[in-house]
Amino acid sequence: MTTRVLEIGGLAAGFCGRLYRHAGADVVRVDHAVPDAWVSERALDVFLHEGKRRVASADATLIRQLAEHADVLIAEGSPQSLAKLGWYELSSPAIRVAITPFGLTGPYKDWQATGSVLLAMGGYSYLMGDPDQAPLNLPGHYVQYQSGQHAYVAACALQYEGEGNQTADVSMWEVVLSLSQFTTVMWTSNRQIRQRHGSDFGLLYPISMFPCADGWFHVNVVPTFWGAFTHMLGMPELETDSRFAESSDRVLNRDLLDQIIRERLGSKTKAEIMRLGEEARVPTGILLELHEVLADEHLAVRDFWQDVGGVRCPKLAYRIIDR
Amino acid sequence: MSQKPLRGLRIVDLTHVWAGPLGTRMLGDLGADIVKVEAPLARGPALSPPGGVGVFAGGEPGTEPWNRQSVTIKLNRSKRGICIDLKSSQGKDTLLELVRVADVVIENFSARAMNNLGLGYEVLSDANPQIIYVAMPGFGSYGPYSALAAFGPSVEPMTGVGALLGYSKDQPRNSAMALVDAVAGVSAAAAVVTAVNRRSETGRGAKVELSLHEAGISLFGEFLVDSQLGAQHTPIGNAHPRYAPHGIYPALGEDQWIAIACPDQACWIALRDEAGLWTGVEQFDEPSHRLAHRPALDKKLSEWTREQNKHELEQRLQAAGIPAGAVNTAPDVLEDAHLKERGYWVDQALDGQPTVRYPGLAIKLNQKERSVGRPAPKFGEHNREVLQEWLGSTTAEVDELIAQGVLLDRPPG
Repeated sequence: MTTRVLEIGGLAAGFCGRLYRHAGADVVRVDHAVPDAWVSERALDVFLHEGKRRVASADATLIRQLAEHADVLIAEGSPQSLAKLGWYELSSPAIRVAITPFGLTGPYKDWQATGSVLLAMGGYSYLMGDPDQAPLNLPGHYVQYQSGQHAYVAACALQYEGEGNQTADVSMWEVVLSLSQFTTVMWTSNRQIRQRHGSDFGLLYPISMFPCADGWFHVNVVPTFWGAFTHMLGMPELETDSRFAESSDRVLNRDLLDQIIRERLGSKTKAEIMRLGEEARVPTGILLELHEVLADEHLAVRDFWQDVGGVRCPKLAYRIIDR
Repeated sequence: MSQKPLRGLRIVDLTHVWAGPLGTRMLGDLGADIVKVEAPLARGPALSPPGGVGVFAGGEPGTEPWNRQSVTIKLNRSKRGICIDLKSSQGKDTLLELVRVADVVIENFSARAMNNLGLGYEVLSDANPQIIYVAMPGFGSYGPYSALAAFGPSVEPMTGVGALLGYSKDQPRNSAMALVDAVAGVSAAAAVVTAVNRRSETGRGAKVELSLHEAGISLFGEFLVDSQLGAQHTPIGNAHPRYAPHGIYPALGEDQWIAIACPDQACWIALRDEAGLWTGVEQFDEPSHRLAHRPALDKKLSEWTREQNKHELEQRLQAAGIPAGAVNTAPDVLEDAHLKERGYWVDQALDGQPTVRYPGLAIKLNQKERSVGRPAPKFGEHNREVLQEWLGSTTAEVDELIAQGVLLDRPPG
């Protein structure tokens, strides 16, 4: 039976609804606020809302009527705006998920936020960018879309359980906090505050981005790949060189190693570096401009794009393949 | 017993590093019965466990350092743990026995690793046709890049994020925090719940393929769409392409900062009045003027913010209805009153170890107090329990596997 999803609100609910659409659900979206978006409205329509039916009114009575015919409600906004839409009086559908900046409860529940504010409060911003410049924020809607994914997981888990009248409260700030890598454990274990190091990972070297003839490349040389990387550089003698032999040596002598990498690889093209990385089995990436991503042969072979009115739109992160 | 929605869902978890364990932790927090299957050297050899980023819970390695790695503990709560030597034939047989009674198998090895072990999807689905098998190779199992070695940070610039993140077009940056792992981990949880609900309807198992590469692109894909519609997107630091002010501004103290954004006119008026700046400069009340004169606007705002404590300013601006937040570090958030009141953090201790605070699950069900599952398993802690409970193995049968070195509860070496 097709799941009926009622989606109310902004970008996070929109992303959740996108996941439901790709799973075959019948999604009705109620647009009740202009999202704080980084891209055009048309781009959002293509990316988030393909295949949804849309209602422009946010009248509480209409929403209640729509909700009575839905299986799942995903509502995004501030707690106050959700209250105006009748959130707290709803008893249907059986599964109701609220996405708010700080949660439905707590001292900050009525605070205002954007994605950038939540990245800052959640510990991401402090880690990104150069140590001698302002921290950097991510462009786009990372916080909103990760929150939309959380809402989707919550709703699907409640569908799996199949017991009626359940709610989930997804806090976008908590989503950012829950996706920290070492931020909290470095403090709780060693009383260290993780710092930002430009494009360097900081704790191991070389895990960083470097300039090359036609752009930038990245190598991720965790200790097990050091030997392979010396072959990629064409300097296998460095593997046992006392200045670089141990992981701690490479961190200590990073400036020298950085210079060697730039000398050996800086004049090569991105394509050449990818080939060297593949031959040496070193985790290597090249910085692709947006048009290069769209033209990427690998993604074409994998049938990754969905055509939406003549525009290439990414499919989901995952694909389900029958046996 | 708490009644969590995914209770009864059995997951064999072969994942390691960040993305996979993050996804299965979410599913475990929601009640799935996760059995984490580790290789003998998954936590390094006993006598020289990896240091580096593997900081230890409580700051000390203790007598069993492989059981005190903070990141392992953080990512693997709500799971049971067993150690199987999958290179042995008995180890493979044991895994297949577990797969026969499981709902989901998930792994994030390289594209060819499971086939090389003789445990590819064909083999697993022959053992259990209804199994849902989730594979998370860096670039997928087919296509020109599928054989490339991949970690999140090296995949990131290939997703388009590298063309967007940075101080300017000439100063792109990597997030340096394995961003696509965080995306892929949550996506993996989404993939699993999608597939199990689908199986509930169709009765069919399936293979689910999730690449780090496509996960990253899927989350930032709107920029790819917009670029086809004529938009130009390049790194613009902390600016927003459509309004100002939007940025990270200095606060009082060394390396202290605050994020402030005025996405609409009401926020701007509130900020203008709160800061007491731009009096008599009415042209800044025009959004297009603010956008056009962003550097001057940011400079003046920075002069004001740099004299103020980030937390006090955050409170003050929020009271005025302005989106603002301190650029927090770990100690800033771990004692935060709001998060404490919502019961967000998870305080857990393994046997004999100090209690440590870890990030919780960002989903609160039915407004009830949050309870996540058991602390992360010690290495091979549940070898016996899982085999007896899932497979009905006898004590003697488990003893035999231990004696043969198929099951381990201490790393070799």
